[in-house]
Amino acid sequence: MSTALKDMIRNPTVAELELVARYAALKADPRRERLFEAFAQTGLPHRRIEDWRWSDFKAAVTALDLPATPPAADPLATDGVATLKFTPQGYTAPASLPPGLRLLAKDEVQAMSGAEDAPLGALAAALSGAKNAPATLMAEVTGETPVRLHMVFSGPGAINAARVVFLLRPGAQLEVSESHLGGAAFSTALVEYTLQQGARLSRIVYQRGGKTEAQAITALIHQDADAETKQTVLAFGARVARIETRLVHQETSSHATLNAAYLAGDGYHIDFTSHVRHGARACITRQVTKGAVLDGGRGVFQGKFHVPRNAGQQTDASMQHNALLLEDGAEVFAKPELEILADDVQCAHGNTSGALDQNQLFYLRQRGIPLEKARALLTEAFIAEALEDAGDHEEALRAEAQAWLSEVRPAPRSRMLSSMRWQTRCAPLMPTCIAASTRWQTRRPKLSKLPAKTCAHS
Amino acid sequence: MLKIQNLSATVGEGEAAKTIINGLSLEVPAGEVHAIMGPNGAGKSTLSYVLTGRDGYEVTGGNATLDGQDILAMEPEDRASAGLFLSFQYPVEIPGVPVMTFVRTAMNAQRKARGEPEISAPDYLKKSREVAKMLNLDADMLKRPVNVGFSGGEKKRLEIYQMLMLEPRFMVLDETDSGLDIDALRTVAEGVNALRAPERGMLVITHYQRLLDYIKPDKVHVLAKGRIIKTGGPELALRLEKEGYDGVLAEAV
Ligand SMILES: Nc1ncnc2c1ncn2[C@@H]1O[C@H](COP(=O)(O)OP(=O)(O)OP(=O)(O)O)[C@@H](O)[C@H]1O
Ligand SMILES: [Mg+2]
Repeated sequence: MSTALKDMIRNPTVAELELVARYAALKADPRRERLFEAFAQTGLPHRRIEDWRWSDFKAAVTALDLPATPPAADPLATDGVATLKFTPQGYTAPASLPPGLRLLAKDEVQAMSGAEDAPLGALAAALSGAKNAPATLMAEVTGETPVRLHMVFSGPGAINAARVVFLLRPGAQLEVSESHLGGAAFSTALVEYTLQQGARLSRIVYQRGGKTEAQAITALIHQDADAETKQTVLAFGARVARIETRLVHQETSSHATLNAAYLAGDGYHIDFTSHVRHGARACITRQVTKGAVLDGGRGVFQGKFHVPRNAGQQTDASMQHNALLLEDGAEVFAKPELEILADDVQCAHGNTSGALDQNQLFYLRQRGIPLEKARALLTEAFIAEALEDAGDHEEALRAEAQAWLSEVRPAPRSRMLSSMRWQTRCAPLMPTCIAASTRWQTRRPKLSKLPAKTCAHS
Repeated sequence: MLKIQNLSATVGEGEAAKTIINGLSLEVPAGEVHAIMGPNGAGKSTLSYVLTGRDGYEVTGGNATLDGQDILAMEPEDRASAGLFLSFQYPVEIPGVPVMTFVRTAMNAQRKARGEPEISAPDYLKKSREVAKMLNLDADMLKRPVNVGFSGGEKKRLEIYQMLMLEPRFMVLDETDSGLDIDALRTVAEGVNALRAPERGMLVITHYQRLLDYIKPDKVHVLAKGRIIKTGGPELALRLEKEGYDGVLAEAV
């Protein structure tokens, strides 16, 4: 390896050196170089970078060994639906694709907008083209009838880097499901969706990784006039898992629904980060994120709406994140951020975090429902709203949540969060509000010091 | 059947602990219905919570048994499976959980705890239809989340619906009459009476004689300051309705 390459990342870790070596082994290409540089600026993102302070990939990706756990089972697999499979060995596509879908395996690396803002997305793009994968896999969706497609990202292997670029032609409809099942020490997937006028995207994401794995899923969505995206994510996390959605409303009257639910057990970390730019008039964003966390689990929510002064007039956007801390020792970090510079907008956000309602728990138990079952039932009901828009997949996702909840080991009574309940709320925010970050923790002694508000109104 | 001896209980923790039930004794034999009346804040609801095992109350003395079984040592769900049912003064809203799911889950959990087979879906539906009809409950209401958006009276009727579905052996009804209109009071009372049986017992907490016209009690107790200060027949309720509590309270001193 040349010194120039080695110097790309400052004080590289063993894992980062391995990533540099993998990059160096690929066919040289100026676009690829730019992408890798975008990644190399930060290296594996770590807690000293503002956007990553709660999700430290540098610390989590220590060695790129085979992970101990096989990939999770796939609840979204559906008979008769074309499936693309991305593994550390490359990708496979079915021999026949549904009408309206065309795949183009390109030898050149395609540029990626905003690569610097999404270092792990840039890394996925820079490393694609290894083994039998094309440098860029493009997918074009046309026609009036909805196209259904399923994508699986899974191991086994050391690194699973994948990139797919979708182009939805005017009026086209894509119903895509993505299962990110882990099984690789480090997976990073970059999925790009460009929606031309009036195009519709339904995106269902299921994420489940192993306790020793790191997973990053980056989606870039660009919407033209009257385009609509409906996204539903169900995530169980990994040692560290980041599900990032960066969406731009770039022409008027585009509409986005971004829903997500997470369930974090002991040793699992889930980070939902989203960035929505209202770069055109009269666009709508609805975001609901719901999660439940056990002792030793961590949930992170970083949501940002950016509404520029002129372009963003008549924006209608709402952001809601509600977390349930099921046990002492559960951790939730939330940073809702609304940067609203336009004055004719409707924006609201709500952010709450608390324990299960003791009155509800008692009511269920008085009817004979055992504590653990009562807790599972209430938690499932709590996250259900976030899965409501998943259409055909709602049932499968709910079944996964149910199965997880029924397997949760019983918490010793003393560890169950009981009497406390606290919340923070700030809505509506007009015309400018940049919310300060909040950190919720359930370690009892510190409770009194929790900030009462998350927003600094100016 | 239900036997409470010299029961004392506090609410609150540590320094703030406050004695609400203070040496209360009461016995309801199988087959009987007893009423409890008493001024606001006397400890009636607290007694129902202590009996059913709600968190936040500490038993500091005495005991309570159901058919000889010490219920105070049991988890709330085990008391329920043993046949103890509370119709809440303030029924709780459970967003996201439809009535059907809730009641069927409860029913099967109780059956499982007692080593009985689960109820089949058709059998459940059949029974549910019968009970709903008896209580004049709209079938659509049973598809909605438990108590969410229900009117005060609807919530009380739903409590009785659950009671008729679960068929408990001992029932505590905490102000089930409050919030019910005149017709609903009658239908609810009919529902309650349908469960009267030689092997069952009932404790009916109420402020008004009116309910006792429909659900005829074998005995009436007056609860004040955490204990039973007077016990009589149905005529005691009539006297309280006329005179208020002052006379009875004065006699007790
Ligand atoms: N969690 C609590 N903390 C402090 N005091 C409490 C608590 N729960 C009940 N109390 C007090 O205990 C007393 C008895 O309350 P309880 O609800 O049992 O009365 P009640 O007889 O049911 O009254 P009502 O007829 O109004 O329903 C009241 O003075 C009440 O304020
Ligand atoms: Mg009361």
